[in-house]
Amino acid sequence: MRHPGEGVLRRLLDEPDGVADVDRLHVEDCTECGSRMASSAADALLIDSALDFDAEVDVDAAWQRLSGSLATAEAPRPARPRRKPVRTPIIAVVGVAALLGGASAAAAGNWFQIFRTEQVAPITVPQADLVQLPELEEFGTMRAESRPKIRNVDDAREAREATGLASPRITNLPVGVTGQPRYLVGDRVLGVFQFDRAKAEKALGQPIPEPPAGLATTEFRLTAGPGLAAVWPGNSGMPALMVGRVVAPRAFSNGVPFETARDYLLSLPGLPESLAGQLRAFSKDGGTLPLIVKEGSESSFTTKVGKAPATVLSTEGGALSVVFWVEDGFVNVAGGSLSTDEVLRVAKETRWAK
Amino acid sequence: MPASVRSDLEHIFRAAYPKVVGVAARVLGSRDEAEDVAQETFMAFGRTSVPAGEALGWLCVAAAHTALNHLRSGRRRVSREEAASDRVTVAPDVADAVVQKEEHRRVRAGLSRLPRKQAVALVLRHSGLSYAEVAAALDLSPGSVGTTVRRAESALREELNRHASSR
Repeated sequence: MRHPGEGVLRRLLDEPDGVADVDRLHVEDCTECGSRMASSAADALLIDSALDFDAEVDVDAAWQRLSGSLATAEAPRPARPRRKPVRTPIIAVVGVAALLGGASAAAAGNWFQIFRTEQVAPITVPQADLVQLPELEEFGTMRAESRPKIRNVDDAREAREATGLASPRITNLPVGVTGQPRYLVGDRVLGVFQFDRAKAEKALGQPIPEPPAGLATTEFRLTAGPGLAAVWPGNSGMPALMVGRVVAPRAFSNGVPFETARDYLLSLPGLPESLAGQLRAFSKDGGTLPLIVKEGSESSFTTKVGKAPATVLSTEGGALSVVFWVEDGFVNVAGGSLSTDEVLRVAKETRWAK
Repeated sequence: MPASVRSDLEHIFRAAYPKVVGVAARVLGSRDEAEDVAQETFMAFGRTSVPAGEALGWLCVAAAHTALNHLRSGRRRVSREEAASDRVTVAPDVADAVVQKEEHRRVRAGLSRLPRKQAVALVLRHSGLSYAEVAAALDLSPGSVGTTVRRAESALREELNRHASSR
């Protein structure tokens, strides 16, 4: 007769009564199965030892803790002023957010633009969850067709010529920021993403829900840039202030709408449900990008730069502050080792020279 | 207790809490972290209408997934990683403690690399759930539980042996 499978042998170790008599009797008389069984037993013993953990718990204390948490979670929250939707730039972003490509152009052929960065709303998530978000490469193929090639150029004029963008002009530098700026430029980036269900399931270690029809054959072209930045040194010679802009990220699809794909990706197991829910909500706004704020290390608030709504981020302790605002299809940024007041003043006073 | 929380929560909590902590502790190698995961799991469970008869399986699967998510996300606190487990602290000398700690790290790393269903089945089985309970909790046939657990054990053993042979 045929030999029982590995699963039967394994169960025979733990629950012999759960194995059919015919299999049990076979193993008793079969040298080969006896050997396989011994191997299985050795592995089981080793792993049991490796996983063994004697976790004594105080159930009463644990119940008190849970009761307190449930009561707190249900308590009415103090009224907070409603913040207006944030309209700012893109920063960031992680995993799925890599989908937010952007850039001018490229709407060639039958590509149609379905997404454009006009709003970014802050979402606060635990820092660890940022790490947890899977890279897009794990969900399919991501082909970089052009890279930013960030480089120094000699002056503002060259920066403008290299990018076609206006350069920042600041007449009143913050205290501690000195000298002439150096200029950096970067070309437009373009990546092409195509979803692959098998890769996604492998990455997540489990079957995933049926993808939207057509997703597997859809290519998403993700672009951002070009961009430029002026960087001023501080008294120590280290960079103290940076002001720059980049053409806002955009996503193009030749099939399934980008937002459909994004919502599907966000619904996959492995993403924290709280974050996925927030992101799904944002997609309804059309054009709102998630701005990920690292909890505990950054704080944010919203304000305005001119007429443009802006988001200000600062690190814990205020060592670094950055303000982002979106205007006329550009993501603008001003940041440095300055207070939030200082970067906001710089942002408001920045003029863009063509 | 808030009205939105199921009325049988305390009863189920008292019966299942040690088991749920045990599941998470096998993944994380830390009692403190495991208790955090268990609390998180019961918080979620309290708002479900999962039948009481299915509660243990639901809780154990949820705890295993949550703990594996913690592993994968690197959400673990360094201080806890340092603590690794109580067993490390009673090792006879520093060298043994270092070796044990490294082994713990390898076990956790190996678990986080297993296909999720294998990892969960492995942890549930080694936490004492029967084949029928694991099968019901993971929507598997009892026959395939053995296969899944066996594959997970084999993969994890290879992971540990590879490390041992490279030292």
